Amino acid sequence: MEIVVCIKPVPDAETRLRANPAGTALDGEGVKWALAGYDESAVEQALLLKEANPGSRVRAVSFGPAPRTEEVLRAALALGADGATFLEHPAEVVPDPLLAARAVAAHLGRATWDLVLVGKQAGDDEAGLFGGALAELVDAPSFGGVMALTYDASARRFTFRRSVEGGAEAAEVPGRAVLALQQAWNDPRTAKLPNILKSRRATIDKVAWATTAGALGPLGTPTTQSVGFRLPAPRSGAKMIDYRTPEEAAEKLVRLLQEEAKVFP
Amino acid sequence: MTARVLVIGEIRDGHLLASSLEAVGAARACAGPSDRLEGLLVGPAAAAASPAFAAAGLASVACVADAALERPTPWAWSRAIVAAATAAGAELVILAGTAAGRDVAGRVAARWEAAAVTGVTAIGRAPGGRLRLSRPVFGGRATQEVEVAAPRAVLAVRPHAFPAPAPTASAAPATELPGGTGPEGDGRILGFEHVEGGAGPDLGDAAVVVSGGRGVRAADNFSLIEELARSLGAAVGASRAVTDAGWRPVSYQVGQTGKSVTPQLYVAVGISGAIQHLVGMVSSRVIVAINSDAQAPIFRVADYGIVGDLFAIVPALTREVRRVRGIA
Repeated sequence: MEIVVCIKPVPDAETRLRANPAGTALDGEGVKWALAGYDESAVEQALLLKEANPGSRVRAVSFGPAPRTEEVLRAALALGADGATFLEHPAEVVPDPLLAARAVAAHLGRATWDLVLVGKQAGDDEAGLFGGALAELVDAPSFGGVMALTYDASARRFTFRRSVEGGAEAAEVPGRAVLALQQAWNDPRTAKLPNILKSRRATIDKVAWATTAGALGPLGTPTTQSVGFRLPAPRSGAKMIDYRTPEEAAEKLVRLLQEEAKVFP
Repeated sequence: MTARVLVIGEIRDGHLLASSLEAVGAARACAGPSDRLEGLLVGPAAAAASPAFAAAGLASVACVADAALERPTPWAWSRAIVAAATAAGAELVILAGTAAGRDVAGRVAARWEAAAVTGVTAIGRAPGGRLRLSRPVFGGRATQEVEVAAPRAVLAVRPHAFPAPAPTASAAPATELPGGTGPEGDGRILGFEHVEGGAGPDLGDAAVVVSGGRGVRAADNFSLIEELARSLGAAVGASRAVTDAGWRPVSYQVGQTGKSVTPQLYVAVGISGAIQHLVGMVSSRVIVAINSDAQAPIFRVADYGIVGDLFAIVPALTREVRRVRGIA
């Protein structure tokens, strides 16, 4: 089975968020980039499927600017991916998940694959658009919020659970599908030091932006533009409720929620 | 100039979701007086649900009464949506940002060659007339403003961000569109199971959430949290400390590695407020914190705080809520 896993770098969870000088997007200056959490689950799932289905190969693909995009590809190689493709993009911030999907679809159109795994969304823009858009562009079925994925080789069929409001659906899909994974259900492995060192020297296939842009034509233009990036005004801190008895605290809180905040159900 | 907006309704177990009515509210927030709002419903319950959908303010509702679309796959639903958008001559498709809605939005955008923006909490127009959307990013730690630079757009709106319009007497016609069944190759949804403790509203779309943390101290004590939640009609959440300890399943977890929630009211009980948890709930409209430690970081993001013993405060609060809400 040929498995493609699409990944992207996002700012590390501890990053102190700050707008760029123009106030239009995140300031990337000094940001420490890491493999997105949902994508970690996708890489882990790809490796689990590879281990369960001997002869399978896992290729990591990422679209974005150097050097951070190459870095997450090396992280995937260190975890156990067999190959990596870097689809270069010149912008400091990838402007549009639809454009990323078109770039990856243009690339996948020339490759043989059975399954594409992606994170359901990424922890930065939280768009959740990439997997579905990619599936549509390569004319494959798709599902999001996927957990507990298994492959039935004789029937060439994937079965899984899909996280939805209030519970989970059981679902199945034949091969050549795009599945977007829920985060943190499969306890992703960490890379071993020798593999990290080996990944430093691994070859990454690189596709220049000019090649991708040529293939996309007018569809290589972003359809949305980030024009603002605001941090919430720091909350002034909680209004603390004075009380002598728990009953008094409860009465005061309920009254504030009714009369001042107006959110009492 | 008349713009046409297609609002996608979602039906679960025969009922139209409240978040679909909010999507109509979002459409009305950005539509001009001469714009035409139409709706689309799919599945066997489409015709029965269409009056309630239309009453939120739609000029007409198209129904695809195909039994195969009861729980549509993203593949099949995206085809029905694009066919309806094309038939309506729409420039804008608006859907609720539920799990299924977010799942289909990217497909629709790619198929319809439209821009797409998810997690939308506010809709306006930039001076040049472009759609301008607000959306929380980085788990609610920042807000991004996005402008649409394409003639068509798909918007998925965040639950609770827009009010559901009050129902009006509506004579909007329900029209029948042909079925959108795809080939067998698009996969199948075989069944659905509720998560345990799923008697209350769903964590992801509840208007009120009550969450417990390490301060609850033991699995058995979590019933205090659940009783308060029941009195408020709230969903129950938990911090990672609780799910790591196995007091409640991972499906309860709010935070960076769990769910992000944006209720009207979030009550954090015995939760210190690690950044891991805060990123999943900080966009809630009003936050109440109950904690024994006055220095706990949760009080910095809360609107109302009570410092004290949760084992005394929470039962008193449950009694008071039941009294005020007239629950015996």
